[in-house]
Amino acid sequence: MTMALSLFLALALAYAGLTSLSLAMKRHHDQVMGRKLQPERVRYYRWPGWLLLGGSLLVTLTVWPLGLALFMAVGLVAVAGLPLVFLLPYRARLAGQLAVALPVLAVLCWSTVPLAVGGW
Amino acid sequence: MTPLSITSRTLAAALGGYGLGALSAMALAVTLPVARDQAVIIGIMLSFLLCSGAAIWAFSARSAWYAWAGILAPCLLLGGLYLWGRPA
Amino acid sequence: MKKSFRQSMAWLHTWAGLLLGWLLVAIFITGTSAYFREEITLWMQPELHDSTLQPDTVDKALAALNAKAPDARSWDISLPGPRHTAAELRWQPAKQPENEGRRRGEQMLMDADSGEIVSPRATRGGNFLYRFHFELYGIDRLWARLLVCLATLFMLIAIISGVITHKKIFKDFFTFRPGKGQRSWLDAHNATAVLALPYHFMITYSGLLLFMTLIMPWGIDAAYQGDRRAFFSEVFSRGEDAARPGAPEAMVAIGPLIEQTETRFGKPVTRIQISNPNRDNAQITLRVNRDPAVTDRQRGGDPTQVFLGNTGELIDTHIPANDPVSPGWRIYNFFTSVHMARFADPLTRWLFFLFGVAGCAMTITGMLLWVSKRTQQLRRDQQPDRALKMVNGLNMASITGLMLAIAAYFLANRLLPVTLEARESREIQVFFLAWLVSLVHGLLRPHRQGWVEQVGAATVLWFAVPIINMLTTESHLFSALAWQHPAIASFDLVCLILAGLGGYTLWRLQRKPVPAKPRRARPPRAANTSTTGQTPAGETQ
Repeated sequence: MTMALSLFLALALAYAGLTSLSLAMKRHHDQVMGRKLQPERVRYYRWPGWLLLGGSLLVTLTVWPLGLALFMAVGLVAVAGLPLVFLLPYRARLAGQLAVALPVLAVLCWSTVPLAVGGW
Repeated sequence: MTPLSITSRTLAAALGGYGLGALSAMALAVTLPVARDQAVIIGIMLSFLLCSGAAIWAFSARSAWYAWAGILAPCLLLGGLYLWGRPA
Repeated sequence: MKKSFRQSMAWLHTWAGLLLGWLLVAIFITGTSAYFREEITLWMQPELHDSTLQPDTVDKALAALNAKAPDARSWDISLPGPRHTAAELRWQPAKQPENEGRRRGEQMLMDADSGEIVSPRATRGGNFLYRFHFELYGIDRLWARLLVCLATLFMLIAIISGVITHKKIFKDFFTFRPGKGQRSWLDAHNATAVLALPYHFMITYSGLLLFMTLIMPWGIDAAYQGDRRAFFSEVFSRGEDAARPGAPEAMVAIGPLIEQTETRFGKPVTRIQISNPNRDNAQITLRVNRDPAVTDRQRGGDPTQVFLGNTGELIDTHIPANDPVSPGWRIYNFFTSVHMARFADPLTRWLFFLFGVAGCAMTITGMLLWVSKRTQQLRRDQQPDRALKMVNGLNMASITGLMLAIAAYFLANRLLPVTLEARESREIQVFFLAWLVSLVHGLLRPHRQGWVEQVGAATVLWFAVPIINMLTTESHLFSALAWQHPAIASFDLVCLILAGLGGYTLWRLQRKPVPAKPRRARPPRAANTSTTGQTPAGETQ
């Protein structure tokens, strides 16, 4: 069960990271936020994006040994990225909202683990 | 690209690429300073990358002649390496 | 060459991709299904569904083997797990036909509850699709494998040239512009290719590695002076053959041994192998599943304990995950085991399945892009020529046709009489018949209407699978039995999802004008493109 939760967290972080990276790009920033991207604000989106992706990798490292974790982490990027790519043109706002909601939900799920299994 | 050039390059990619891969697998198998089963597997793993690299080269070289030359030269080199390291 | 490097790579990518693209689509689709080949086989043998591991399953299995083959050379019992419900009993008969290359054992299936031997309907199950993935069907195995290897090599070349071709790989990373014909297909092809690029590379490269002794044996010959056997025995040693049978002697009760092994490893025993059963030199090998994440060891590397059959004395405890493996082989083992994903637990297996779907999407969008681009280049009054029609028809056959054929294969499994002669071949005949029909149909009706009809047919067939299953078996979506073994219920759910996807595609096809129609002055479609519309539809590459 904790593995499913870890995967969900890793997936949510990957999705949030990718969304943040896409927000650092003019075209997608317009789509999601509905306003122009100020060039000096690019780093506010790029750095958190990479950090979130790094977080996703860290989570997979707790589940699998190094080689497999790296492979699964890049695989999760694909699994998280494809919905984002296809959401952006149709439901850009939703794509942005999910980037916040999913990690929050994942962390909330994690916080229920001690209750479910009676503490670590 | 003229049909002749395409044919020549395709042959260079297929035959030359495979030959390059095979020769690299052979040369590495007998010269790498590790246990021979490991040398074999490392050679094989690199050979596939060289095969596809050669195909890319065959179609990106300036002319079909260059394509062949760029594949045959390392082939000769690897062939020599193999003959030198070949177990007696 | 006058053209730029990128242009020549685009040329290479386009033609290398098209030449073996249809084969690659089939390899990807069947390969993706092969992640679940045991689950598919399970679904296709409903006679086995009502079987669950019980405490006395092992005793019953031993009793069954004792009754069937008391003097066998060896016994091998696989207990039910998440991927199969029945106990699989195998044995090597005492008398072996001499001079046969590989010794073939006998096999039977046992209901884990009742201990009865069950003979389910004859089917090749998921193994048919799995085998098709790398050796096709009906042609010589060697040539088929070489052909698949060739396609794999083309794929590797297409991956590299594709990356070089892609102009704005990072700028377009998240870009999908719908409703723009060729542009949309290009975006979709790029997205599925680039986002899953490490997976595509891994699966292709490891596919070549799996066939290395077939296509690249020269290094072995060089280092071992042509003695390939020496290489294999050095690397893939399969354990010694069982010693000659000794004098008859009863074996100890197996229960305490199982308990001992399960305590030692903290996991249930899943497989029991006994060499020279009922002899004084009997050896009992108990295996537990290996750590699911161990990918850099050779397959079959489960933790084991070995006991003497007559005294129950523990003579060996082996944890292969702790064996030293040299770096070269670790890399090789990693690639090949990640390709086959045999190590994967159900959750990880689903992820691999999704990666596989991304691979299918990448090859499929590539093939559709090829047609879309050339259709769009036609002038208004121009009809597509024969070659373009043929490519489109073959696309149809390789994409919707294969999906349709697989659904037909599953339906045949439920609808053909259980006692039919040569049943497993009939199922496969239905598969190829459906595929052939779709090919002929695709070549005769290579236009939009053809796609609509084929997607419609596939949707109906996939939707029919769980329905027919409900009418013909006891383990359907509305039964407790199917949910008892999640693999069975998941199968029906996947069918419904595929039917849903087909229905959605159909709806889109009905609603939208052909994206790849002759270009004409048409106002941009406001609803779909308002957010992104910047590029005119024709401008690409």
